[in-house]
Amino acid sequence: MAENLEIVKGTSLWSDAWKRLKRNRLALAGLIFITFMVVAVVIGPAILAWATGYTYDLIPTESELARSLPPSLMHPMGTDDAGRDLFARVLQGGRISLMVGIISTFVSLIVGVSYGAIAGFLGGRIDNLMMRIVDIIYAIPYILIVIVLLSVFGGPSTPAWIKWLSANIGGAGNQALSQIFLLFFALGLVSWLTMARVVRGQILSLKNQEFVLAARATGVSTFGIIFRHLVPNALGPVIVYATLTVPSVMLTEAFLSFLGLGVQAPYASWGSLADAGIKNLAIFPWQLIFPGVTMALTLFSLNFLGDGIRDALDPQTRKF
Amino acid sequence: MLSFIIRRLLIIIPMALLVVTLTWGLIRIAPGNFYSGEKKLPAAVEANIRKKYGLDQPWYTQYGMMMSNIVRGDFGDSLKYQGQSVNEIIKRHLPYSATIGILAYLLALAIGLTAGTIAALKQNSAFDYSSMSLAMLGLSLPNFVLGPLLVLIFAFGLYWFPPARWGGVSSIVLPVITLSAIYAAYIARLTRAGMLEVMRSDYIRTARAKGLDEMTVLLRHALRGGIIPVVSFTGPALAALLAGTVVVEKVFALPGLGDIFIKSVLNRDEPLILGIVAFLSILIMLFNLAVDIAYGFLDPRIRYE
Amino acid sequence: MAKTRPKPLRSALIAVIFASLLTGCMSSAKSKYFGRTSPPAENVLRYVSGSEPETLDPQLPDGQPEARIFMALYEGLVEYGPKDQQPIPSIAKSWEISSKVDEFIFHLRDNAKWSDGKPITAQDFVYSLRRGFAPETISRTAGLGYAIKYSSEFNGEKVFVKKNGRFLTAADIDGTPAKDVPAFGPDTEFNRTLRGPDRITLEGDEKKRSKELESDAKLKAAVEGGEFVPVKAEDIGVEAIDDRTLRISLRQSAPYFLGLLAHQFFRLVPRQAIEAHGKEWTRPANIVTCGAFRIKEYRPYDKLVVERDPNYWDAANVHLDRIEFYPVEELSTIMNLYKAGSVDAFLNHTVPTSWIDEVRQYKDEYLNFPEAATAYYSMNMTKAPFSDSKVRRAFMLGLDRQALSDFRKITKPLFGKVPSGIYPEYDKAVEKVGEELRKERGVTPETWAKRNDFDAEAARKLLTDAGFPVVKSDSGYSCPNFPTDRISITFNTNENNRSVAEFIQSQWKQNLGITVPLKTMEFKTYLPYFKSLQYEGFAQFLWSGDYMDPYTFLSLQYGKDNEGGAGFYDAKYDKMLNDANAELDPDKRYEMLARAEFYLMDQLPFVPLTINATNWLKKPYVKGMYPNPGTLIPWKFVYIERDQAKWDKDVENIFKTPDPQMEKQLSDLTATQKAAAK
Repeated sequence: MAENLEIVKGTSLWSDAWKRLKRNRLALAGLIFITFMVVAVVIGPAILAWATGYTYDLIPTESELARSLPPSLMHPMGTDDAGRDLFARVLQGGRISLMVGIISTFVSLIVGVSYGAIAGFLGGRIDNLMMRIVDIIYAIPYILIVIVLLSVFGGPSTPAWIKWLSANIGGAGNQALSQIFLLFFALGLVSWLTMARVVRGQILSLKNQEFVLAARATGVSTFGIIFRHLVPNALGPVIVYATLTVPSVMLTEAFLSFLGLGVQAPYASWGSLADAGIKNLAIFPWQLIFPGVTMALTLFSLNFLGDGIRDALDPQTRKF
Repeated sequence: MLSFIIRRLLIIIPMALLVVTLTWGLIRIAPGNFYSGEKKLPAAVEANIRKKYGLDQPWYTQYGMMMSNIVRGDFGDSLKYQGQSVNEIIKRHLPYSATIGILAYLLALAIGLTAGTIAALKQNSAFDYSSMSLAMLGLSLPNFVLGPLLVLIFAFGLYWFPPARWGGVSSIVLPVITLSAIYAAYIARLTRAGMLEVMRSDYIRTARAKGLDEMTVLLRHALRGGIIPVVSFTGPALAALLAGTVVVEKVFALPGLGDIFIKSVLNRDEPLILGIVAFLSILIMLFNLAVDIAYGFLDPRIRYE
Repeated sequence: MAKTRPKPLRSALIAVIFASLLTGCMSSAKSKYFGRTSPPAENVLRYVSGSEPETLDPQLPDGQPEARIFMALYEGLVEYGPKDQQPIPSIAKSWEISSKVDEFIFHLRDNAKWSDGKPITAQDFVYSLRRGFAPETISRTAGLGYAIKYSSEFNGEKVFVKKNGRFLTAADIDGTPAKDVPAFGPDTEFNRTLRGPDRITLEGDEKKRSKELESDAKLKAAVEGGEFVPVKAEDIGVEAIDDRTLRISLRQSAPYFLGLLAHQFFRLVPRQAIEAHGKEWTRPANIVTCGAFRIKEYRPYDKLVVERDPNYWDAANVHLDRIEFYPVEELSTIMNLYKAGSVDAFLNHTVPTSWIDEVRQYKDEYLNFPEAATAYYSMNMTKAPFSDSKVRRAFMLGLDRQALSDFRKITKPLFGKVPSGIYPEYDKAVEKVGEELRKERGVTPETWAKRNDFDAEAARKLLTDAGFPVVKSDSGYSCPNFPTDRISITFNTNENNRSVAEFIQSQWKQNLGITVPLKTMEFKTYLPYFKSLQYEGFAQFLWSGDYMDPYTFLSLQYGKDNEGGAGFYDAKYDKMLNDANAELDPDKRYEMLARAEFYLMDQLPFVPLTINATNWLKKPYVKGMYPNPGTLIPWKFVYIERDQAKWDKDVENIFKTPDPQMEKQLSDLTATQKAAAK
């Protein structure tokens, strides 16, 4: 979210919006929390490993330690079934979950919004064609796409660019990470579909309004009408839907991981941690509580931030 | 309008066939096959299987045979569940998923629309914040967490409902609630956003200026425009719900279509995958057509030529 | 809490949630039994059987969930014994075995009937077996019966060669004269041909056949001018001597064959229903069964209800009126159903690891016994560095398998190919042969006893010797030039596999300084990846025994194209196994098998990991149900005990605790065979 803002900071609409956003305390709190989380998951694991020696994959050799222990000074969030530090795993899981969320939201904003807006505005045959393509992608079984993606691009035949990405972002040429990148790609592939439908619906209802006619009369190009006039007016549902995309792709990721198509062990994500946690809720409640609360707080902040951005960008707020 | 609907209906069948073709291609690229298992099959048995199912034919012959059967509405027999036809499996399990899916969506609509509308009208009020936080909670509680949580409380704490399996009204309460939570949250948030957008538009101000009472403005004018995002979302969501939702079916051990669908893919059960995919794509296109028609009713400014 | 009522709605809700959570936890901690425990009102057993059965045709699928259902619906010549899975009489009341263990004569009971009332005859068995091997049936398990003469040839559509009015035999190629074998049982025309020299069989497909002939000039010359006759159903070594007598002839001696006959593949299928209804014969309206139970109601993915069949020959000794099989896969859901008292028992390895500590307290219910099921990591020997046996051995020694077992809570460490504790006689043979080998090699008993134990020091030394020096660094060990970027531990996704892999990864990282990446795959993607040796490094390989003989494990590395998935092939090992199976003295045979196992462990194409445990629960009022090594339950022994005093207690001793009712039933059943054996 934060990056999006910076990219387009130049125009006055955006700097106005930024001023308004700063005045919205809840949104600001959300922004601060999310920034904090991003920083924590990026540098946290390294600091933790340096300070305590615990990493997300360290299973103690002593068998009395290789089991789920309640929170203590050593392990502020307790340990999981294998005796791994849950704090380290929540931090590491956050990396993947946030990355999944950000990438999918980004794709859904860029692809989904422009696709839906173009289809809605042009209408007629083009709209029909574009929307049928969306229907088709939506109807093809998603896990089949992921299975094929993983088998064609995963394993020994991983394309060089994926290897490069995983080597340079994930650390020492890790095979497990290349599957994660494929996963991001796969999630991005479908995350924009419903967004496109939502945006198209909004544009259809907006495009016959007076301000569009006015713009057209003054000779604004089609591109200009869509992206300068229509899209900003449809931003409310767009931003709300974008914030909704984050939890839903996190869950999709958890489900894919459950099928063996997602995050590779010993990596975790918040979704897979929560999945493990719920199974042990009656016995080891901390296994659900800590990942769950972290995830919930992040999503809450995202939601407040999303609402704040929506309000800040609302072209009609100024009238009040 | 009528010609628009007819055109859209006519295109559904070729579109479904296109989806089937693409899916078929993906199945053929995917590694593994339906007959491979933990234990190695003797070469003779494998050869017999390949012969029986025509896998020893060139791909275009196989594709042609499959398509000619599908065009006649016959998806053949499941490869995994031998002796059961695909049509029969879909017909048998659809009612379970549909019951739960539709009930869950209705519940979600009732909660979501009410909460979203009130939250929009009383923007930044306590109700707004608490209902939206609750909605966010519904979203951040994945159904694989919510389901077991409800079971723990209502099946083992209070003994109100059975923990799993199909059987009578009491057995579907927990699955329906579990399933509806996330949709209620979606709908509430989308309604709120849509309503906020609409309440500020010129025609609402005109309506208010005309002296219409607030309730009429709300129900007659605002809600119609405000739920457009919800309507857009409903098309695919309802189709997905009808075809089953695998997590809830697994947690509650229900005989719905969703789990069967996922398994058919994992088993590479080609006829069953194609059958469900064809069914699902028809559903999606029908619902999206319904959505497009609904746009016209909700917002008179939306026109289709 | 009840006296003050601030903000009624919210606090009430919170109170309800907390109270229910608390009671939920409390009740489970204090009660003697796990969840609700009271016998069902009727004589019904509600059992979770795992995934939805693929079909109700016993000859087609190879899965365990189906196996358990088939044990209720169908019978064969013999049945699994309730406690030890050893064959007990079923439709065959007794049998005779030839001295070479290559011919079997079964005497059928005369009161056995199908569920439609038709009597069961030896011809039904002939039909069933011929159907099972027929290529168009495509039975996945037909390979289990390949010991039956000409069955694999029939199944593989091969041809005999007829020349000058008679079939060519092996004698025609290498000139060895046929031995005169005396008849076992009545001397029939059919039996004479089976007893005679082995006929030559060739590929049925013309292209493959000419290729086969090209590679063998002698064979080609012998076949020249002959006529190719397809191997037919009537050719396989199964013969109805009369209505009540069946003879099965094998291609060679197979001491394990009788134990195999209880497998679902050998159970009877109804000719009358199959011929009348074709592929739809398994529908409830058409199906005809022959087991203790028949189908009452079938709702796929929901439940399969079977009821006692009054036509069953032993109906008087069937105690349950009904069994309800529920297809549920999600482990927590199964546990919930059990806890709520909605099911009485469920299938094996089902209690999730994290529940085990809690469930273990219920000593009258939790069944944890070793299973004839093992876990290995196959190592791809075709790709360096795992082509070096030192490297392979280093990885075995560098893994603390005792710790792994403790971590998994219920498994036992595996130190060989065959799980110990399952075949007591074989265990003795292993000990004896081991002692001989120890003396041969001149090792002290202490060193010998620890030869396969965890030894990180030795493992690091072996790696260093193999050219991968392990160096000590401040944070442990590291092995800088080991190619970790290419290898991985590959496994198909499930929770147990993942947690095992994570543990092992962590162990090797700490003990050897090598971090082997993990690679998880969806099952159907994994299978070809594993079986065609695409993986590098390690791949998980689980095996559960098909029959009660160590050969079911040892044969995994037998032949060029074996199951083991390591690229291992050793002609010497094959010969050792062949020789052992030709040995008729069971003790000597076991010793020869044990020797082969020691030989295999020197090659080490796999890292042995664990022996699995049964790991399931049954309510204490369910009796006559035992955690045998395959959890294969002959349902007619199972009954519901309503007298709480007689409920099962301390099921740890379930095998030793006498149950007069079950024992009488079992001894009555086996009496016929015992009498015949005298």
